[in-house]
Amino acid sequence: MTSGPRIVVTGLGVVTALGADRETFWKNLLEGRSGISEVQSFDTSAYSVHRGGEIHDFEPERHLERLVPERTGRASQLAAAAARGAVEDAGLTSGAPRVPPPERIGVVMGTTSGEPREVERFDDAFVNDDVGAVGAELVERYPNHVIAGHVAAELDLAGPNVMIPTACAAGNYAVAWAYDALRFGRADAMLAGGADAFSRITYTGFARLGAIAPERCQPFDRNRQGMIPGEGAAVLVLETEERARTRGAEIYAEVAGYGLSCDAHHMTAAHPEGEGAARAMVAALAGAGIDPGDVGYVSAHGTGTPTNDKLETIALRRVFGDRTSRVPVSSIKSMLGHTMGAASAIEALVCSLAVRDGRIPPTIDFDEPDPECDLDVVPNEARETPVEWAMNNAYAFGGNNASVLFRRWVA
Amino acid sequence: MTGTRKIRVAVTAAGVLSPLGHTAHDLFEALLEGRSAVGPLTAFEVSGKLHPRAVQLPEEDPERWLQGKNLRPLDRPGRLAAAAARLALGPEDDEEEDELRAQIGLVLGTMFGSVHTVSKFDRRALTHGPQYSKPFDFANSVINAAAGQTAIWHRLAGVNATIGGGAAAGAQALAYGADLIRAGRAEILLAGGAEELCFESFHGFAQAGLSCTNGGVAVPLHARRSGFVPGEGAALLQLESEASATQREVPILGWLAGSGTSFDPSRGQDPDRAADAVRRAVEAALADAETDPEGIDALAVSASGSPAVDRAEARGLGAALRDRAATVPVTAVKGALGEGLGASGAFQATVLLEAFRRHMLPGTVGLDEPESDLPLKQAGVSPREGAFRCGLVTASSWDGNACALVLEAP
Repeated sequence: MTSGPRIVVTGLGVVTALGADRETFWKNLLEGRSGISEVQSFDTSAYSVHRGGEIHDFEPERHLERLVPERTGRASQLAAAAARGAVEDAGLTSGAPRVPPPERIGVVMGTTSGEPREVERFDDAFVNDDVGAVGAELVERYPNHVIAGHVAAELDLAGPNVMIPTACAAGNYAVAWAYDALRFGRADAMLAGGADAFSRITYTGFARLGAIAPERCQPFDRNRQGMIPGEGAAVLVLETEERARTRGAEIYAEVAGYGLSCDAHHMTAAHPEGEGAARAMVAALAGAGIDPGDVGYVSAHGTGTPTNDKLETIALRRVFGDRTSRVPVSSIKSMLGHTMGAASAIEALVCSLAVRDGRIPPTIDFDEPDPECDLDVVPNEARETPVEWAMNNAYAFGGNNASVLFRRWVA
Repeated sequence: MTGTRKIRVAVTAAGVLSPLGHTAHDLFEALLEGRSAVGPLTAFEVSGKLHPRAVQLPEEDPERWLQGKNLRPLDRPGRLAAAAARLALGPEDDEEEDELRAQIGLVLGTMFGSVHTVSKFDRRALTHGPQYSKPFDFANSVINAAAGQTAIWHRLAGVNATIGGGAAAGAQALAYGADLIRAGRAEILLAGGAEELCFESFHGFAQAGLSCTNGGVAVPLHARRSGFVPGEGAALLQLESEASATQREVPILGWLAGSGTSFDPSRGQDPDRAADAVRRAVEAALADAETDPEGIDALAVSASGSPAVDRAEARGLGAALRDRAATVPVTAVKGALGEGLGASGAFQATVLLEAFRRHMLPGTVGLDEPESDLPLKQAGVSPREGAFRCGLVTASSWDGNACALVLEAP
């Protein structure tokens, strides 16, 4: 669909292990810092792995004005903090000039797990035969839609409120939903993002699958050992170009197109020929009206597992052909770990900054190329080069694939 | 935006896995007869609740619709969704079908996803050690698992999404699916929702004071209502662009003509804001469908027996429909089906589409004494006759989400 208003990014907010504001985060990312550390939020002595991308210094009371942290799950806290950052960045705080009324500002968020710590609390009581004291939180605080709800409650937003829990592709899905909603006139501005909190449940699951690396997350490296679970949140403010101009808002980038597809193949393993992933990329390119050759940067899903990175390379090759080895493809999961439903939202934020600044974040801890992943992974050091089009790819359990294209904005 | 108004979204099939029947016809007949699926809770034990009530699917569901392949990887929400898809798609026939199915998408609404599976996975890790937790359970613990399993089971490789939204998830899924078709992202997709009845949510609702316990009145809009009865089920409507439906020469059951979705930032704490969210969702849906209150012939509301939510929904409809609110016939299916959460939106839509076909609107089970103070005056136990051609499905969650759909007769 090429007709219709252009959709632009006017605000960015983020909470990660590498910073709880856009500037700090971007600086740390470009310096190739690692946000991976020893897990502290629960006891990992019964596990064979102990590293994670936890945020150790998040102080919700420093970010939240309406929500009460004690009554709000962690993913919601991270989401609301990132959202407040985005809204302030966009100049959309109430009282600022030409801000749409609250009922015309909506929220769409993605997540993988919702608020799993609420289930953990319940389970701790359950196994101690104490379930009579718990349960309400499963209804009031666990269901994933409370994340988008809490963002709206924190910022007093009354527009469409949507939760898209499509696991590790969710952030891209949220951006895609916002894109269409704005073009249909369902809102004047949309907050779109993703959030996930570190949890014992998620860590146990990936550990049980043998998917967690013992030390580092090394996407596309020949000796990569796996992924490292992390946490975080990112929120983008999206508007039509016309509204952004009317408000005099600064524009980071344009959301130029997206593609969604489903593998329909396996719950936890991607299609062996990268077919679904390729379809999502092709649809995004078609939506933006460009060729693969126009793409200047790919923010990869790049989890660091032997399988994902190999299959992702196959998918990229299907789309980019001979050019594949010449397109910069980096994975910031090397620095943050896999932040689950937040990942593609954080990466969308990164793409917006990449096209604005002409800077590409590196894939760090890259020691040895893998012939099966013969990509330019922007190893270890950020690169300075103009980027006109950036593609953000994300792949999820359940076979959900999503690609979003960002374009440099020229005023 | 040019172009979108030109793509009309048809409903061309309905897959209904309900406690009162597995076809739209059977469900509708049961509702016309005033039958209720509310009964004693038998699926699991809950201590301390006198005479716990629930709405449960018959024992043979959903597995009877999922023959011929290995069911082990699917947990119950996955099976519910896959069964509803099977009912919408019909039996698998031939290779030509395969090509078609590869294009069909899926948008599934759910409130809890697989909370029982998540809890089970975690509890086993706690009691046996993390190395003895079950990978199958982890794969099903992600909230989009049921949609993924359904896509695998039926080889549906079109656009696939899961949507939260609490009790409004099912209606939001239908709205999202329709918008995907209007935006040209899909020609055909299944949209609706699935929700399983499980100890975790049942206990949670009781602890939170949302469900009706110990013999209270669990009837929508009732003067003495005190909560809802937890239910389960799955329903998926096949949505299709007009061009596709015409080209495939399939019967059109109706049109999803418009939608609106809105939010109450007080998350249910402020009754006026809660009602206002419903008002805005309904007004947006009417505008989207290019109709007005006088064009609405029937309401299929999400009222469940919840004191606050039923009231907010009714007040919101009253504000949006103005004079029409007092005269338009109303049906509240949760009286018979319980609170089906993600499944409810598509149940309500199915009943409304049948009403268009049958020129009857079912009554609301048990509603012998409607609350007199509400703007909706045409709700009661008796079915209504009428030339119903256009109606509203509304969905309102107790924590802020409000969604409305306009459906039109073919």
